[in-house]
Amino acid sequence: MDGQTLLPVAVVSTSFLAAIGIFLLREHRHRLRGIFNLTAALVKLALVVWMQFGVLAGIPYEFRFPLVQGVHFILRADALGIMFSGLSSVLWLFTTIYAIGYLEDSPNRSRFFGFFSLCVTSTVGIALAGNLFTFFLFYELLTLSTYPLVVHRGTEKALRAGRVYLIYTLCGGAVLLLGVAGLHGLVGDIEFAKATVLPSLAPEYSPLLIVLFMLLIAGLGVKAALLPVHGWLPIAMVAPAPVSALLHAVAVVKAGAFGIVRVVHDVYGVEFAWRLGVLEPLGWLAGATILYGSVRALSQNDLKRRLAFSTVSQVSYVVLGLCLFSPVALAGGLVHLVHQGLMKITLFFCAGNYAETLGVHHVDELDGTGRRMPATSIAFSIGAFGMIGVPPLAGFVTKWYLGIGALEAGAGWVIVVLVASSILNAAYFLPILHRIWFRPQVSPWPEEQFLSHRDTHPWLLLPPLITAGFCIAAAVFAGLTFSPLHWAEVVVTRGGLP
Amino acid sequence: MNATMTAFGLVLAPILPLLLLLFWCVPALRPRVEVLTPWAAVPAVLLVLFGETGMRVELSWLLFGSALAMDTLTRVFLAFTALLWLGAGLYSQGMLVNDERAGSFRLAWLATMAGNFTLLLAVDVVTFYVGFALMTFAAYGLIIHSRDPEALFAGRVYLIMAILGEGLIIAGLLLAASRTAAPLAAMLADIPAAVMDAPYRDLIIACFFLGFGVKAGVPLVHMWLPLAHPAAPTPASAVLSGAMIKAGLFGWMATLPFGLVALPQWGLGVITTGFVAAFGGALIGVHQRKAKTVLAYSSISQMGLITAGIGAGLYQPALWPALAPALALYAFHHGLAKGALFLGVGVANQAAAHWRFGLWLALALPGLSLAGPMVSGAVAKVSLKIVLEAGIATPTWWRYLPLLLSLAAIGTTTLIARYLWLLSQSEPRAKISGIQWLGWGLLLAVSVVGLILLPWVPTISGIPPDPIYLPDLIWPVLVGLVLAVCASRFLRSWPVPEGDLIIVFPMAARGVWNFLQYVLLKVTHFFIWRRQIRHQRKSVEADTRLERSDVEYLLRRNAALVFALLLAVGLIASILNP
Repeated sequence: MDGQTLLPVAVVSTSFLAAIGIFLLREHRHRLRGIFNLTAALVKLALVVWMQFGVLAGIPYEFRFPLVQGVHFILRADALGIMFSGLSSVLWLFTTIYAIGYLEDSPNRSRFFGFFSLCVTSTVGIALAGNLFTFFLFYELLTLSTYPLVVHRGTEKALRAGRVYLIYTLCGGAVLLLGVAGLHGLVGDIEFAKATVLPSLAPEYSPLLIVLFMLLIAGLGVKAALLPVHGWLPIAMVAPAPVSALLHAVAVVKAGAFGIVRVVHDVYGVEFAWRLGVLEPLGWLAGATILYGSVRALSQNDLKRRLAFSTVSQVSYVVLGLCLFSPVALAGGLVHLVHQGLMKITLFFCAGNYAETLGVHHVDELDGTGRRMPATSIAFSIGAFGMIGVPPLAGFVTKWYLGIGALEAGAGWVIVVLVASSILNAAYFLPILHRIWFRPQVSPWPEEQFLSHRDTHPWLLLPPLITAGFCIAAAVFAGLTFSPLHWAEVVVTRGGLP
Repeated sequence: MNATMTAFGLVLAPILPLLLLLFWCVPALRPRVEVLTPWAAVPAVLLVLFGETGMRVELSWLLFGSALAMDTLTRVFLAFTALLWLGAGLYSQGMLVNDERAGSFRLAWLATMAGNFTLLLAVDVVTFYVGFALMTFAAYGLIIHSRDPEALFAGRVYLIMAILGEGLIIAGLLLAASRTAAPLAAMLADIPAAVMDAPYRDLIIACFFLGFGVKAGVPLVHMWLPLAHPAAPTPASAVLSGAMIKAGLFGWMATLPFGLVALPQWGLGVITTGFVAAFGGALIGVHQRKAKTVLAYSSISQMGLITAGIGAGLYQPALWPALAPALALYAFHHGLAKGALFLGVGVANQAAAHWRFGLWLALALPGLSLAGPMVSGAVAKVSLKIVLEAGIATPTWWRYLPLLLSLAAIGTTTLIARYLWLLSQSEPRAKISGIQWLGWGLLLAVSVVGLILLPWVPTISGIPPDPIYLPDLIWPVLVGLVLAVCASRFLRSWPVPEGDLIIVFPMAARGVWNFLQYVLLKVTHFFIWRRQIRHQRKSVEADTRLERSDVEYLLRRNAALVFALLLAVGLIASILNP
């Protein structure tokens, strides 16, 4: 056992240990719990950054041990995994800070933070999983650990949302299991590496491989909120703001999208999947989801629900980029894993701030919030403009790469999707911004709490401001090493796409 | 100015407004920022006056590798843009003294200015688009400054059109950039050549023509102009009409394949569109009842002439080397004259009655310039005419283009007459302050004589204002004046609404929207089965919450122990594992 072996385990287990510690704490020990949470988050972040340098230098980090004959438990840090675990550890830190501020004086905080840490454990496990089996393990653990977070409020609405969520994700998990087991039966344990196993199979297996691909994507598509199975996401937004933020930005939705990336990129291989002819229909589905989510978002009055439909739309950019069979578009899709996370977490933090500080939950109550909560509103505006794809913000980088990549691959229809989606995004975000900045306050705030006389509680204000800063930095400094874009390009180069 | 200073200026011109914007957010610095706001355009003015062309600043760490530079064409555009921002900014300073929304106006002002300078100085496509988008979105804040219903409606129309325009522009840029050597970091200068060879050439040209056309007031996407100009505060109208409209022209000149390939169909279509705007703008404009609306239609009309010039460039590539500077000069002259005229609306409301006649004469100067026989206007008009005359070759209709230009000048004259008449009818209002006089005076001076006094303006051979062109310039004005006098005696103005065709749109839009909603509703009903579940499950008992903390604690402890056990097993297994 040396550092190269232990590091992936350490990264996964920091938040796991934190979860155990937090579960054991009595409810009122909030200071100790805060220390636990933040220390674990910082340690994890430090470890991930350390591995990041290592991976860039080409050091293999791998931990494996056989569970039964032929099935291994593998944690491995490759460029793609590091990108995703980097995202989740950074955002975990800020979400933890936010959640501590958000849940001040509310009941059941131990339960909440325990499952919260567990949720991050599973996310990082998903990121570092080295084979399909390990991935599946953490994927299901994620389902189970997020359920208590979704129903945290314990209201009837929350419980119903939780039930819908479980039905969707467990069914998705079952379908995924079918796919995983099918592949296992066919070729044994499948590790995420340069995909060589499946492409080398005889051509008569192609129909079977296509069916298995469809099963895998259907299973993963539930969490990624692809078109026919996106229904749980807008319902699950009843969860507390930090949960929604994490759910939409890194944990659940992203885990689904990340899984699809793994399957296409590391199991089938982009080239082989393209030859099988499964990518093009998936791309069309992603395009349809992008437009559908945006159209539905237009008519939502509940702020978080509007954001939820926006997630349905935006996460499909990742899938779209994957399906175009062009390295540039692939980089655009991969980088959107990070960019969408940064922008959407900012928006949800801000939505939470409006709800917590002023009691504002609906779009038509937002009039004049810009004057009352300027800093929060600036962060929200940055996130919203980023979603529209206005430069120089993160969303633009994605759009530019996807557009150029799509044209390289000869898929001109993607431009139509991108432009239409941008216009729709503008159509549902700009009215919000108009209300925030340009309308006077008409009625008293529904439930105002004086958390601070300038804006809101600093613990609630700092995270969205920092993530909004990241949204700008990710685009303005896109060309520098360690920018998300650079990492996406590293992943693409190492993946060996033509 | 040496190279270092030029480089510094290139960076400072777009950055300074943004820096001021940031400083404004610090309450302690706010009063200083307020004083400095109008002066934020000064680095750009200095850059124009003393900078070196051909100098290029590489900012490879920015975006996908950004670069700023100034060439001769940029210099002309930057010149009038910066002067306009400076003059109108000074004017706005006086206007904002007792304005409760002064802060919001200044922020929008600075952001729009930064975007405008960035797009002019950008070398690469992405930086150009950054500037364009910043300008587009920030201008909304200027338009709706008063927050009254007209302004909000104008702002909404503007924003819808602008976003559609942005969509077309980004589509065009993507399509064109993907054909350049380095698609992700494409240079603006490579775009025209890429458009020329692109498989979807006509599509790209259409995207650019309409996308930038929203700003440039091309007919059918022009409706925001006559709505926004009267609704926006006077200095905002001045920069919108003087500088932002020209950004559309700049976009055309930077992206369309001029001088590379003959596009007769496009050329003919664009020339026709241009003259439709030129005459249509004048016809509708003379019936307007607000001075600023008249000016807005005059802008549409003037941009129509420029559009016709653009069409000529598409039709005859050989003309372009001479046409580009001529169009830039025209933009220069129109931008500044229009700025002076807009600020004049505010100045004319000045109370002192004995001043009034002299003031009125001063206001007429940029108007005369716009119509032709004043120094700057003469240079601009004659340049354009000479270039178009040089192109008389193949089609017979081409020889009528110079005549059409003269006829358009008749329309301009009547519009200016209408404007001056409306000003003379206006009620005197609040006094304006010294700094406002300064801003207006600056624009007045440069708009009348700027083109021959400013040393760096490129001269087209043979066009110092020569008396032989004088009759050509004067007869349309005389005819226009006679027409205007006759019309004011014998005709009554028709009630053409501001924004003319816009009244059709809400009805059409409502129809389309209702239809879409109906379709969507049907589709959703078909797909969303969970609605039924929701109705069935109404009677779930309300409170299944686990409230007793003891039970909670036990549950959590058990869970924790299970996890700890799992971890221990995992660790032991991994240690035992070789």
